[in-house]
Amino acid sequence: MTLKKILKSDIKELLRQSAKEWEVYAPVTAEEGDTLFTRLPKEKGKLEKALQGINLKDEWVVISPKDAFFPQLEDMFHFDKEKIIDTPSPSKKLIFGVRPCDAKGILFSDEFFKKNYEDKYYLSRAKDKLMIAVGCLTPPRPEACFCTSAKTGPFLESGFDLQLVDAGGAYLVEIGSDKGSEFVNAHAKLFKNSEKDEEDKVKKIKSKAAEAVNLKVDFEKALEIMKGKNDFTENYERIGERCIYCGGCLYVCPTCTCFNVLDDKKGDKGVRRRNWDGCVFRGYTREASGHNPRDKKSLRTTRRYEHKLKYDYSATGMSGCIACGRCLTSCPVKIGMSKFIEEITTGKRTM
Amino acid sequence: MKNDYLPHKAKITSIQKESFDTNTYKVVFDDKKIKDTFDYKQGQFAEISVLGVGEAPISITSSPTRKGFLEFSIRNTGKVTRAIHDLKVNDPLFVRGPYGNSFPYDELKGKNLYFIAGGIGLPPLRSLINMVMDNRKEFGHVKILYGAKTPDEVCFKKELEEWKNIPNTEVWLTVDKPCDGWGCSVGVVTELWKETNVHPENAVAILCGPPIMIKFVIARLAESGFKDIDIVMTLERYMKCGIGKCGHCNIGEKFVCIDGPVFTYNQVKAFPTKEHAF
Repeated sequence: MTLKKILKSDIKELLRQSAKEWEVYAPVTAEEGDTLFTRLPKEKGKLEKALQGINLKDEWVVISPKDAFFPQLEDMFHFDKEKIIDTPSPSKKLIFGVRPCDAKGILFSDEFFKKNYEDKYYLSRAKDKLMIAVGCLTPPRPEACFCTSAKTGPFLESGFDLQLVDAGGAYLVEIGSDKGSEFVNAHAKLFKNSEKDEEDKVKKIKSKAAEAVNLKVDFEKALEIMKGKNDFTENYERIGERCIYCGGCLYVCPTCTCFNVLDDKKGDKGVRRRNWDGCVFRGYTREASGHNPRDKKSLRTTRRYEHKLKYDYSATGMSGCIACGRCLTSCPVKIGMSKFIEEITTGKRTM
Repeated sequence: MKNDYLPHKAKITSIQKESFDTNTYKVVFDDKKIKDTFDYKQGQFAEISVLGVGEAPISITSSPTRKGFLEFSIRNTGKVTRAIHDLKVNDPLFVRGPYGNSFPYDELKGKNLYFIAGGIGLPPLRSLINMVMDNRKEFGHVKILYGAKTPDEVCFKKELEEWKNIPNTEVWLTVDKPCDGWGCSVGVVTELWKETNVHPENAVAILCGPPIMIKFVIARLAESGFKDIDIVMTLERYMKCGIGKCGHCNIGEKFVCIDGPVFTYNQVKAFPTKEHAF
């Protein structure tokens, strides 16, 4: 793999240049302290202000950048009396500073939205994307990150266009695709050639980063167990009783793709929108007749775990859990995927 | 890129009152190209919109053997169906589809067929029933066993009479609460087993109805000797997109909207969930 180098002090200039051609999403720490993937504004003054907040440290980014492709709320089409007006084609997106686990989540969603029927809204946003990942030297959510167990981090082996490796004053840059290579060439002044010994340096940084991930679970065993015959009714009933059905885990999950559809109309004009929805909500499966096949709490809990660890895996070969740990950190009652995996692989009660 | 979420404009050309809360809407697409290319199969459904109110999955109740229009038999139940019931002839209705798999057809040829329905469960079977009636000689004996809560709720009264008069075809009705002058059976649909023979030889049973009805009918069919594979049903689930994306209708790794809505009982039995009453 070709290795390039960019000085940390040149990152803002790189983003400044990129913002001209791309719709750039990057982790920005807001005044309130949360770091969120933010679309960089095109207008110069606003862009400079946003660039002040760029944060590529091992920060806990609250939500993965999935909403660049699958917004929490989006217009599907507009209508005026009886005329339907489709939404315009989106501009191409650059996801800068995406964490390896979140990048895996995006790759997972790419496949999901392509399968069977193609989802125009997601795919038209995602087809020309460029993903510049940044590996984690230390886990951003130390008590919850378990990427080494699921092999989704702390660095990617493939799937990225570029991957940044933090080497102190500069990032060493791995090129993972032709698109990545083109991007480097387009900004050749900022990307320098790496030194001979720096490939070794990358290896060392990566192995040290992997050692820094403390939380470990037997992920492979969990997938095997879920694939086979099992009965976790007791776990689902207990976790189902503990859960308060706030849906926080679904909103922060990089691979949750469910949505609801709703219309809004004023006079003759209106819009059909979709917004994120989730399987833990009671109304999610309720039919107009009042019949609800998943009225029972434990069935909704079952759905959540089996979907992520069983059905996604059997349907795509990829697990629906990418081990980011956000479900655990967002949960007011401390339920999390890593804990569930520990329960089913060790038999210990964790929740 | 093609956008599968955009519905096509159609016009309501007639409205037939079927029961106190159910109407059949006949619709024709405005765009001739859509009208000519909208090929559907028996048992498929469409997503129907009233713009500004919403969209709902509705089974296509017309038979694919009858071309140029679509029919939807819709009960006034939720927000969207209520808005549809406010529409009049010549009003627009927005339709996309067809979606889902279909009832077997060639596999049913030469077989005796039992259509067993409860309440609003008859409309999803109507497409196949009329397809069978249009090619009547290719099938064995046909019995339609239909249960409703009240005589007012019985759909397709006129068609039930027509079907009854077709040779080798029987229609058996029952209601939970009869009214004066009700000449048919009283009780749930399985009560009809007392009235007529339900025999598994060279037969397939095709069901649609509320879960509780399906549960008892399946038990009764099993007692009568039907094999799981000879029990076919169309399942109802909350569906928002119809194309396997929104997630609402998932059962295990299947989506009712693309892998169903038609399943055999042995497929339903293999569902890895405890979500079903049957």
